[in-house]
Amino acid sequence: MKQDYFSANNIKHIDYKDIEILKRFLNPSGKIVNHKRSGITMKNQRKLAVAIKNARFMGLLPFVAK
Amino acid sequence: MDNTEEKAEMSSRVYEVGYLLLPTLTEESMPVVYSNLKDLVVGMGGEIISDEMPKMINLAYTMSKVIQNVHNKYDMAYFGWIKFVMDPEKVSELKKKLNLEENIIRFLILKTVRENTIASKRFVHKDLKRKLSPKRDDENGVSLPIDKEEIDKEIDAMVA
Repeated sequence: MKQDYFSANNIKHIDYKDIEILKRFLNPSGKIVNHKRSGITMKNQRKLAVAIKNARFMGLLPFVAK
Repeated sequence: MDNTEEKAEMSSRVYEVGYLLLPTLTEESMPVVYSNLKDLVVGMGGEIISDEMPKMINLAYTMSKVIQNVHNKYDMAYFGWIKFVMDPEKVSELKKKLNLEENIIRFLILKTVRENTIASKRFVHKDLKRKLSPKRDDENGVSLPIDKEEIDKEIDAMVA
């Protein structure tokens, strides 16, 4: 049984600058891993998606990885 | 009392602005731009909670900015951020001013919370603790017998 990574580590606010954490939820081509695979709650998955998109805008994460 | 506190919270919110500065800035001129940005926020009635000095990073993709009708492409930039408390009505003014800033490639204004939201440093700490704890056991000699048994098993396996 997979646990929610963010509640397990007591993270209440998912920050777009935490690229080391956000990278865990990207597949090799840079797409956001879906919630079945990531195993996090839907509430956190939505926050995660926003954080990753903000990080992409600021050039911290790729839109498409080669 | 509760009402006044609520009003105080309503009249100012915690925001964060992340920005990318031109990589063409020299090491001497970058801190000047950085302090100008902070002065801009303070000048608009903002109260700075925390901030980070811009650092040179490799961008995940190439960005472009038009400067004097010329498209310039950038693969690197200085990334920095400022967290501050400000009146919500003034944030749109701040946005307009940042748009006019010449040295910024792009910026992002977010609503956030007063607490530190960066968690990765804590994790490094935790991981270090995990790595350190078995070593301590070795020093105390607690885990030595287990090691001996394992070695014996390995030797048996080798002999067999």
